[in-house]
Amino acid sequence: MQRALFYGVLTAAIAFPLGYFVEQWMGWVLFYTGLSLHLAMHYRNFSRLERWSRKPVLDASLEGDGEWDRVFRRLYRHEKELLEKIERRERDIARLIAAVHAMNDGIVLLDGEFRIQFCNKTAERQLDLASVTDRGAPIANIVRQPAFIDYLAKADFSRPLVLRLDRYFERVLSLYLIAYAENHWLLQVKDITQTDRLDGMRRDFVANVSHELRTPLTVLSGFVETLQEIDVDTESRQHYLQLMGEQSQRMQSIVQDLLTLSSIESAPPPEDQQVDMATLVDKLRRDAEALSAGRHRILLESEGQGDLLGSESELVSALANLVSNAVRYTPAGGSITLIWKISAAGAEFAVQDTGIGIDPKHIPRLTERFYRVDRGRSRDAGGTGLGLAIVKHSLSRHQATLEITSKPGEGSRFAAKFPSSRVTGV
Amino acid sequence: MNESLHVSSQFDEDLGRLRTHVLQMGGLVETQISAAIDAYTTGEVASVKTIVETDRKVNDLEKAIDDDCAHIIAKRQPTASDLRLVLGISKIVTDLERAGDEAKKIAKGVRRIYEAGHMPAQYGVGIRHLAEAALTMVRQALDAFARLDGTLAVSVIRADADVDVEFKSIIRQLITHMMEDPRTITTSIDIISISRAIERIGDHAKNISEQVIFVVEGRDIRHNKEAIK
Repeated sequence: MQRALFYGVLTAAIAFPLGYFVEQWMGWVLFYTGLSLHLAMHYRNFSRLERWSRKPVLDASLEGDGEWDRVFRRLYRHEKELLEKIERRERDIARLIAAVHAMNDGIVLLDGEFRIQFCNKTAERQLDLASVTDRGAPIANIVRQPAFIDYLAKADFSRPLVLRLDRYFERVLSLYLIAYAENHWLLQVKDITQTDRLDGMRRDFVANVSHELRTPLTVLSGFVETLQEIDVDTESRQHYLQLMGEQSQRMQSIVQDLLTLSSIESAPPPEDQQVDMATLVDKLRRDAEALSAGRHRILLESEGQGDLLGSESELVSALANLVSNAVRYTPAGGSITLIWKISAAGAEFAVQDTGIGIDPKHIPRLTERFYRVDRGRSRDAGGTGLGLAIVKHSLSRHQATLEITSKPGEGSRFAAKFPSSRVTGV
Repeated sequence: MNESLHVSSQFDEDLGRLRTHVLQMGGLVETQISAAIDAYTTGEVASVKTIVETDRKVNDLEKAIDDDCAHIIAKRQPTASDLRLVLGISKIVTDLERAGDEAKKIAKGVRRIYEAGHMPAQYGVGIRHLAEAALTMVRQALDAFARLDGTLAVSVIRADADVDVEFKSIIRQLITHMMEDPRTITTSIDIISISRAIERIGDHAKNISEQVIFVVEGRDIRHNKEAIK
């Protein structure tokens, strides 16, 4: 500022004596020329600033003369700091959004009219939203379940809404609507399919144990009462006692299976002994023939040589269970194929039958305790309802998986797959 | 100036509400259909009553939406895309209502079969698969309407051909059953009418998608196989 002032005073200081002592017009000319030059310099810098302000990008080449340069540099610094601050903010926001996307729970932000403003990836998946195209659309347009629409309409969000979706596959979601900021809503979606299923399983388990034990118990106590109160001849007595024996046997096998199951669950992992699989598979085939008593064709396909590492007794009980199931659920005249394949990459023991088959919707639940596709039929066949649960547990203790494929009316295939770490002596 | 802005945004709001109502009705029909399929596979005929009751709600909504459409046309005289939307909606609700009726038919057929003591599962036909395909069509048609997504609508129309093929194969299978064992005729006929209803649901979904394309693109592609290629 001072320099600009100094320049003005200097012009006047030279022009005034010149005009006074030499020629008056010369003084004026000099004065005006000086001022005009001065003005032109200012104008040039001002027009630079004006040009820049029309499109204020960060430009280090913006230079001015004298005083102006300082102003320009200050502007440049200020602009730069501002840009850095914005960038930092944007990075923070992007990180926050990424965190929201990474959440396990679905998050949907809604405005006061329940229009979608934002949703994270989990919510997209859970509710079938599309975050880009659905922005601004009322959420009720996409999530059309009447239960959800009623929930929104009732406007009582003190309890979460449990929503069952059967889009693609059965899913159970729990939806919380939380008010935030001013007149905005945050919809939190939790996938509770697993817990819902576990709850159901626990309820079923207790109900099933009681039911399974009560049925034979009712028969038993009925006969006991009869024998106590009525005089029966020896022959009937023998018959009753035989039936009572059968029922108590049944209860015993249920309790036995339950104990096996709980001991498998709580016991330490099995010691790794080398199990002679050729002998074991052959024994399974003979067992199947004995159980079938000529009603089925029993085939054995064996491929590769080698043994498994694991607990022999657990493997025998698991694989024998698969074989006996196949025999029991295959009508007479059908065929049962035992398939044993082993290689360095892993091993597989499969039982393929031409039996009644299983509806696909039952397959995921087959290994649940007491889960039955058809209550009456499986009890007639003499099952306790725990067989496959035991199989699954024994196998998982050997890091093996049970794969079930089946077509109703055509037969089923139960395959136990062992990882390469369990294979030895190939 | 301000006045007209206010009026037109009020109009937009009306249209938005109308769309939401249509989708709400669609949601009801979707649940009706999936409940009917569930009843078929599980044999829980208790849900049949709910399905029939929901149908009443669907009918009421159809009437209300139709009324709203007439009101909007009379009061606002919409033009261009707004007019197409209102016209499209009045056709879509008709198809939705009919799809709901078909769901009701399925439910009643299921009740007939189970009350007669038969198990449709024994017939081993792919009804569930067919029904899921039809239900997906309805869902996608409604999604296409909600998002005004012409591409999705076209894919729904294409899916209809698959449903038709599957329907025909079910009929062939049931005919074989009936020829082999005349005792299965009663149940087979019920299953045929159920699969027919499902196939019709697919057709309604297709009609809805055609209307969506009309709303979005302004072309009428009904009865025009070339248009979707």
